[in-house]
Amino acid sequence: MATQRETDVTARTDRETFEEVDWDTQEVSTFNVSRTAVAELLAYGAIVVLFAYDYAVIRNEHPLIANWDVLSVEWLFVATLVAVFFHGVVPLYRNPRMREFYWSRFVKNRVAVAALVYLLVVFVIGIVGPAVMSPPETRFTNRIVPPVGITATVGGVVKTGTWQFPLGTTAEGKGVLKLIVYGMRVSMEVGLIGTVFTVLIGSVVGSLAALATALDIGWLDEVLMRYVDVQSVFPTFMLLLLLTYLFGSELWMIILLFGFFSWEGIARTVRGEALQRSSEAYVTAARASGASMLYIVQRHLIPNSANSIVIGATVAIPGFILGEASLAFLGFSDPTTFSWGRTISAGQSNLATAWWISTFPGIFLFFTVLSFYYVGEAMRDAMDPRQQIEGGGGL
Amino acid sequence: MSRTEPLLEVRNLTKHFPITEGIFNREVGRVRAVDGISFTVDPGETVGLVGESGCGKSTAAETILRLEEPTDGEVLFDGQDLTAFDDTELKAFRREAQMIFQNPDSSFDPRMTVGESIAEPLRIHGVGPRERRQTIARDLLERVGLAADDADRYPHELSGGQKQRVALARALVVNPRLIVADEPVSALDVSVQADVITLLREVQAAFDLSILFISHDMSVVREVCDRVAVMYLGEIVELADTETLFEEPQHPYTRALLRSIPTLDPGERGIDASLTGEVPNPSNPPAGCNFHTRCPEVIQPAELDLDQSTYRGIVDLRVTARRHGIDVESLRDLVGVDPDASLTDEQAAEMRAALRAEHDVPETVDDPEAESVLSSALDEIVRGETAAGVERLAETFASPCESTDPGLRDTGVGHPAACLQFDDAETAVDREESELTAD
Repeated sequence: MATQRETDVTARTDRETFEEVDWDTQEVSTFNVSRTAVAELLAYGAIVVLFAYDYAVIRNEHPLIANWDVLSVEWLFVATLVAVFFHGVVPLYRNPRMREFYWSRFVKNRVAVAALVYLLVVFVIGIVGPAVMSPPETRFTNRIVPPVGITATVGGVVKTGTWQFPLGTTAEGKGVLKLIVYGMRVSMEVGLIGTVFTVLIGSVVGSLAALATALDIGWLDEVLMRYVDVQSVFPTFMLLLLLTYLFGSELWMIILLFGFFSWEGIARTVRGEALQRSSEAYVTAARASGASMLYIVQRHLIPNSANSIVIGATVAIPGFILGEASLAFLGFSDPTTFSWGRTISAGQSNLATAWWISTFPGIFLFFTVLSFYYVGEAMRDAMDPRQQIEGGGGL
Repeated sequence: MSRTEPLLEVRNLTKHFPITEGIFNREVGRVRAVDGISFTVDPGETVGLVGESGCGKSTAAETILRLEEPTDGEVLFDGQDLTAFDDTELKAFRREAQMIFQNPDSSFDPRMTVGESIAEPLRIHGVGPRERRQTIARDLLERVGLAADDADRYPHELSGGQKQRVALARALVVNPRLIVADEPVSALDVSVQADVITLLREVQAAFDLSILFISHDMSVVREVCDRVAVMYLGEIVELADTETLFEEPQHPYTRALLRSIPTLDPGERGIDASLTGEVPNPSNPPAGCNFHTRCPEVIQPAELDLDQSTYRGIVDLRVTARRHGIDVESLRDLVGVDPDASLTDEQAAEMRAALRAEHDVPETVDDPEAESVLSSALDEIVRGETAAGVERLAETFASPCESTDPGLRDTGVGHPAACLQFDDAETAVDREESELTAD
């Protein structure tokens, strides 16, 4: 408990006190950001500068860094990882009490812990793997080799798998293991980038709508939420098919389309949550101190809706991964993108003789999606205030 | 009290909330939350704004600080009309006036530390860096009786009284001249209340703060305030020095509020002991004096001289008939008449008696003339001719309070109140020009 002492409101110390703030010099600067925010902005700036350099100066003539030629989607991925780092990892690191509290509740779900470990492995391999492995190449000499230790008859020829291709090869002679490792990165990119956009747009729109209602700017809420209604009944998948057909099917475009057309759920949840917060006295206090609408959204409404946002995000990730796999399976994907959906689709015609081509990526896709659901479920249980264990109000 | 320029001057402040309907937001009515209030707050002075919950006190506070846009009226702060301020001027004003809230639990963002909450106004006004703000916050924490290290705690770790101390620290941090305290101690235990009030007074003395103190608790108001404005249904009904108000309350509503201060005598406890009738809906306030529907001292028409409680009962009956209608069906039920059968004389008499009993009107009224009007009106009502009965009642029993809005007027004891009882003086002051401060 805090201790209560004898009060002496006029007590003077040698520290700076509020009476000494010189307000005449303060009126000017209203712009001040924390060091973390500066670091984050610098990181984004660096990404933009490097991207511009790569785009304008190097022009794909040679790889940017060593032998890593950064693709368009990878720029987005790096930016996404920066965002996740500054808004997920840093707050958790800084607030050990919050970290321990959530973790102690999360570990109660053993399956989710296993799923989380699996996802971390997929994530790390997805990041590191493509950096150290050469991309799968088309080699017709290696067509349809079975996985190691398995003998199969393919096109009348009996073949036995070797360690050169532990999980066999496809009809184009690409190693399935390599395809799976490259597919890990694609899945992580799709899931994370798409979700970051979804969360960003959804939470800003949702909390703006809520604050507008609270501040009697009814029309703004009306405009935003009616658009959300329209978007939620709009056949997004058809639009995706149309747009990829018209403008090509590069991965970054598919991801952005997912991101820009799937935020309505988060916007609704955040609006509901933020509406409740807007009537709290601390929001009135901030307004009475002259806080702008943006400040309140950023400092009070979004942080206090964080639980709903995280829950919404964990539901969105597997959805995006499955969505991208479906598009790729249907053939709407860039041939240079080694998506699991594409590999599954490629193995489809050889399913009778070469079962391994579709099966292995299918298993990884299945477990990845399932793991995200499990982790999401456990996070929901850990963060749901209705299941709050005593004393958790401030976490 | 020496007359100085008031720090805050509220002139005819009005806040109506439109009631809208349909997709085009057609306005179908208005909630008159604040309906033309005027008062002043001098530098270093504490002015109380008291009234029952729902009388518009909190809306008044938010409108004064322009957290709600006023419908009409002016708020002069240091001589400048802040209803005309642009965004920059308003932000500068935000530093001069701060607010403390009733509910300590919702006053702080649960995700911010106490130090961050205190420093938030500094941050909003561009004081940096963070370390500097935290130093100021920690210093303030000690000065309001907490420990500097409490800055790193979260609000849920503090007790209600400690949170109100923190709230005061947050209000002080920008070195304001006015603090609007909206029921700052109502959610606290009585013992803690005393501590927080003591602190508030110390702070006020030390920094020469003006305080607008909003409360429904007359005993707290008596302890804290220099002057008190009593609000009822969005209007100020009496305005006086605290001492005068408590010693010589002029308005019947003030007297009722004062009787609501808990006493050891169980017979006199509670506001219900003195007020009858229900609080009117501010979207449809009564005509004339808006307290007449509940006023124990409602004025009788010149021709009448009834026992006051009898007259009050008759007014209650009329208010019910006007607001909700008389439920003749259930009266018939009570007496046991079939819905379609015609009434016998005994049954009608029984229903009349039931109506009288319901509104505390005696079986016979002393004044024979009044009695004959009353019983024939009641007879009409129970026989289903409600409109005619109500009309008949109105002809004889209508109070001047129903038709004349008293406005604040001189009471003869030196401070104004809004009651027609003071009609004799015929000094109804024009509200625009009224000198509202008591000497």
